[in-house]
Amino acid sequence: MATRPAGRRWRRAAVYAGLSLWAAVSSFPFLWMLLSSFMTRGETLRRALWPERVQWGNYAEAWREASFGLYFRNSLVIAAVQVGGTLLFSLLAAYPLARLRFRGRELVFGCVLATLMIPESVTMVPNFLTVTWLHRATPIAWLNSWPALTVPFMVSAFSIFLLRQFMRSQPSELWDAARIDGAGHLRFLFQIQLPLCRAPLLTVGMFSFIGSWNALAWPLLVTNTPDWRPISVGLQQFVSEAGAEVHLQTAGACIATVPVLVAYFLLQREFTEGISMAGLKG
Amino acid sequence: MRQSTSESLTAWLFLAPALCVLGAFGLFPIGYALFVSLHDWRIRRGALLGLRHYRRALGEPEALLWFVLGCLLIVVVARLRGSRLLHRLSLGRCQRRAALALLLGLGLWLALVPGLRGLCATGDPRLYNGLRVTALYALATIPVQLSLSMLLAYLLLMSLRAKGFFRVVLFLPYVTPVIASAVVFRSIFSPDPASLANRLWTWCGFGQLRWLYESRSVVALLLRAAGMQAWPVWIDTFFPSLALTSIVVYNIWVYIGYDTVILLAGLSAIPRHYYEAAQIDGASAWQSFRHITLPLVSPTLFFLSMVAVIGTFRAFNHIYIMRTAGARDSVDVLSVTIFDVLFENHNAGYAAALAFVLFAVILALTALQNRVVGKRVFYGD
Repeated sequence: MATRPAGRRWRRAAVYAGLSLWAAVSSFPFLWMLLSSFMTRGETLRRALWPERVQWGNYAEAWREASFGLYFRNSLVIAAVQVGGTLLFSLLAAYPLARLRFRGRELVFGCVLATLMIPESVTMVPNFLTVTWLHRATPIAWLNSWPALTVPFMVSAFSIFLLRQFMRSQPSELWDAARIDGAGHLRFLFQIQLPLCRAPLLTVGMFSFIGSWNALAWPLLVTNTPDWRPISVGLQQFVSEAGAEVHLQTAGACIATVPVLVAYFLLQREFTEGISMAGLKG
Repeated sequence: MRQSTSESLTAWLFLAPALCVLGAFGLFPIGYALFVSLHDWRIRRGALLGLRHYRRALGEPEALLWFVLGCLLIVVVARLRGSRLLHRLSLGRCQRRAALALLLGLGLWLALVPGLRGLCATGDPRLYNGLRVTALYALATIPVQLSLSMLLAYLLLMSLRAKGFFRVVLFLPYVTPVIASAVVFRSIFSPDPASLANRLWTWCGFGQLRWLYESRSVVALLLRAAGMQAWPVWIDTFFPSLALTSIVVYNIWVYIGYDTVILLAGLSAIPRHYYEAAQIDGASAWQSFRHITLPLVSPTLFFLSMVAVIGTFRAFNHIYIMRTAGARDSVDVLSVTIFDVLFENHNAGYAAALAFVLFAVILALTALQNRVVGKRVFYGD
């Protein structure tokens, strides 16, 4: 048994080697993106590995001349409205589905889950027509503005499902105690339930944020001026028009990445746990 | 407990905003899409066309009939296999098997030869090409992605220190905006001789490749590298192109972290004493993996494979960004084609019809996956 510790050490070394290899693979593109965004145009064309001098000017140029500043602001506003709406509406909808008794509860929940099955390709066409109609028929400007970009995504079946499952797992004595103290449902939901739902709410919010930040097909359809164009569309158009400006492309990509990474690093514990939970529930 | 009216009033009030949005943009669209797909609908509603869009997309109704009949026959055979009905017939075991095999062969033949071949010949090539690419994409991605993330999750489980650090780093690609990482990969896989992919490839001792611009299949490129000049057409049809393979690499890079985190949760839930018991009984590492780990994480694996199949059918953003003029046909999955029909041809009616075909395929696949794979999943005693 003298070889055992040595064998274990080897095995541990192999484990860390494998993990480090993949960590390198998964972070390498970031590094490359960051480095290229600091290069001159000539350096990116030569595919240099390291910028000779850090070109902060790329960011200024991308921000102003390629209007990534405007797109960035648009994306932030769109994401804020969409995440806020999603959190509020999903919380309000999940609560009765988890705790209240009323006729048709299972039916409503079934309908909510059914929308999970429908691919976006199916809803995209009619939703585009609906939004165009709303634009014409109501005084609110839907196209080329935030309502068309956010309202259709304010409710997701997934977030309602996740929050409902979480609320169900909590003891019903909570509500009994609150009722004895004279709280109504609304007050109970926002003062007692809400703080308890921190982890699933953060997960849902993060998903909604990523979804809004990544959206490409829908914003392409409903915006045709830069005024409300989100950064995904801005970057896509920049890439397809100006093929060779890698230093500006990567600067734009870095700008687009920052908010998501910041949010992720702040919330990563809750987020990964929320995801594992959602996955295990199936 | 009685249902109080005030309680149900509260419930409906709370549900109202969510149901309005979900109804208007989640459920209503299905009916509306069906309505749209039956019309000539460009910017505004035109003439009622009935099923003509579906005829144009799918092909001859006759071929469709053969295809459906063949599929039904296959389903019937699959059902008959275990049923009592067959045992009542006074046939020997061999005869029963032969009869079933014959029926199965007939079903396959009907579905493929007069069915699928006729459909492909008479239907919209964009639809069938989109489905072909989607299928290749899913088949090339999912097995590699799941086995790699299984390996990584196992490594993470065994690592004692820095688990949190690795989890964060592995997860990075999943949270990065698709648009940013796809732009980066577009540059990595560019045909430029100095691009990263080409550098790595030539460093390994191979010739330069055109990556995202290459519509030839990987196997065809291998054959050419082996010195062959000509090869049958089906090699380019039934294997993914190099452009699609590059996109597959991107897809694996993105989703591996997500799969790993979920699998890690599944693996950590397995009680340690199972392994200890197996070790006492003298089981090898492979045996305990095969007989303890695999069955116990099979629900998680099944969930992930379902998510991945649906994901590949919905994939849009990264393909839209990474597709190039030279290799469009070999990477355009159906959802990209549908978007083109709506966005570039402004043909809402036809786009809706194509979307319904896609929906039907997804439903059929999910049902199939549930029946065939779902049965083998171990949900505990």
